[in-house]
Amino acid sequence: MSSTGTTGTPLTPDTETKVSEIGEADILVGIPSFNNADTIGHVVRAASAGLAKYFPGMRAVLVNSDGGSTDGTADVVARTVVDLGTMLISDKQSALHKIITPYHGIPGKGSAFRTIFEIARRLKVKACAVVDSDLRSITPEWIELLLRPVLDEGYDYVAPYYLRHKYDGTITNSIVYPLTQALYGQRVRQPIGGDFGFSGKQLDHYLDKHVWESDVAKFGIDVWMTTEAIASGGRICQAFLGAKIHNPKDPARDLAAMLVQVVGAVFALMEEHQTVWWQLTGSNPVKLYGFQYEVSVEPVNVNVDRMITSFRQGLEDLEPIWRQMLASDTMDRLMPLKDCTLQAFRVPDDLWARVVYDVATAYHKRLLPRDHLLKAFTPLYLGRTATFVLETQALTTAEAETRIESLCKVFEELKPYLVERWGNPIHG
Amino acid sequence: MVGDVLLRCYHMGREPVMKEFWETALLSPLTEVGEALLHFLPYLLAMIIVLVVGFVLAWAIGNVVERLLRVLGLDALSNSLGVSAALARGGVKSEFSHLVGRGAYWMVIILTVMSGLFVLNLEPLNQFARSLLAYLPHLFTATLILVAGFLLSNFISQAVLIAAVNAGLPPARMVAALSRWGVQLVAIAMALEQLGIAETVVVVGFALLMGGVVLAGAIAFGFGARDIAKDYLERRLSLKQDDKKADDLRHL
Repeated sequence: MSSTGTTGTPLTPDTETKVSEIGEADILVGIPSFNNADTIGHVVRAASAGLAKYFPGMRAVLVNSDGGSTDGTADVVARTVVDLGTMLISDKQSALHKIITPYHGIPGKGSAFRTIFEIARRLKVKACAVVDSDLRSITPEWIELLLRPVLDEGYDYVAPYYLRHKYDGTITNSIVYPLTQALYGQRVRQPIGGDFGFSGKQLDHYLDKHVWESDVAKFGIDVWMTTEAIASGGRICQAFLGAKIHNPKDPARDLAAMLVQVVGAVFALMEEHQTVWWQLTGSNPVKLYGFQYEVSVEPVNVNVDRMITSFRQGLEDLEPIWRQMLASDTMDRLMPLKDCTLQAFRVPDDLWARVVYDVATAYHKRLLPRDHLLKAFTPLYLGRTATFVLETQALTTAEAETRIESLCKVFEELKPYLVERWGNPIHG
Repeated sequence: MVGDVLLRCYHMGREPVMKEFWETALLSPLTEVGEALLHFLPYLLAMIIVLVVGFVLAWAIGNVVERLLRVLGLDALSNSLGVSAALARGGVKSEFSHLVGRGAYWMVIILTVMSGLFVLNLEPLNQFARSLLAYLPHLFTATLILVAGFLLSNFISQAVLIAAVNAGLPPARMVAALSRWGVQLVAIAMALEQLGIAETVVVVGFALLMGGVVLAGAIAFGFGARDIAKDYLERRLSLKQDDKKADDLRHL
């Protein structure tokens, strides 16, 4: 998935000029965008206020990397100003520099990040933060929480920690979080959160990797950044950011494509870092900064029947394909779910962990074309999501969180199963 | 001719006549046959040698190709592409590397037999071998088209099946089967055209068949699967309240 190199990312002439004019900076906040005119103004205001309030003496730059928006996103960023007086912030800092630039490469968040990273490297920043442009719940404190651990505590990477509805982020909860914890031994709760802080050193590491033409350039960028930070031995911490409220960007019709990108990136990273995780056992908590509090989260409606129907159709129509990608024992335990009642329908934790490990192994051993494999995984994921909903519908979000933690434990316990099926990465 | 000799024998005396009879009527043809045989024998011997060497070579090449492809991981690749599963569905249980090895074996056998015919140096056989040789590239191309079509049809039908299931399309397997047959049909038509077998008939037949398949599909879907189509369209257009709710789930 990667190789290293030092080729710079091309910037537009205007951006080059702007970067030259600024010269150097201490901190940078990047905002990737594509048609986010209705929300990006709030994000820019929060970031600007955060920089002014918490880092008044520092040279700060705000970069908007846009994917060719047609709704005036760039105009909104350009004309957004913050009245610091109303926030009781005394303006002691030099003017905040704003760079609004289009990005090159395949459309996606990863390509937008690449441009932000390149600008940050040229400005020789000490710390950098990136935040999504569709956030409605971002506050100035987010900027401090993402940058301060890097500047004051010497961390290389700050992952976000949000309060989310129990059914918000189901790919994170059922696949990426348990798998990241079991593989790399770090309990990073939101490995694909979307808002991160990182050091200049970590920035160089990211830019020197040649992954920008792969799925990482799309939805895979978040998990790639987290995994790279962990696997490269960087110092990791988390920042409590409260509730994450944002515009939905993952309609169900794109689910298969999303799984291809996110889970494909996770599996590709497993291959790249197999010598890191192969013999690692157990996991450690990751330091969490910020004042923790309870907050109500947006309700999420789910249609369990539809998910189970999709799972069962998969069992009916994709059985030969699933038999190629799953172990026969795993398949034998899935088959009875074809005819059971709704109340009895369950994909238990240990079976789900085996399914994920089987699919990861099938990906590694190329038992199927990888695109087909990851897309054929979609009904299995929906079956497990339906199980989670059925098991937790009477629970609060906090109680559901304990269910997720117990799933993580099962993933850890069954890691020897993965290691056995995967094969020794040293001897092949 | 024998009548003339006997008549002359009666008129001219017995011994000289008999001598001439032996020499002209019996020995001369036999000598000619013998000479022809002696002339032909080296060619026959050469053909036998060519055949024996060719058969040994075919056996060796077939085995080497099979083992080499196995080492290079062709079987794993064919498994991942669904080729092995497709072959098994068609009753072929052999591994793909074995099949390719057998293909190489038979290719060498054909070349050997043709070389043997050339070595015999008999004009009618030479002509036959020459025309067979001229036909071989077409045969090879047609085989390649069929193999490529077969592989492509499996890949496409698998992709279609998965996409149809993820879209919640009830007749997913039927759609996937139709896509497989469609691609295979195109491959067969192209291969037959390459072989020069009733080209016009193939093109017209193919057009008729494809038209028929599309029409049959439309009629079948229209009449036989009205409920399925209605249900599918309803779900796609979100007319059912149940399915509207599913959009709230945030996966990332």
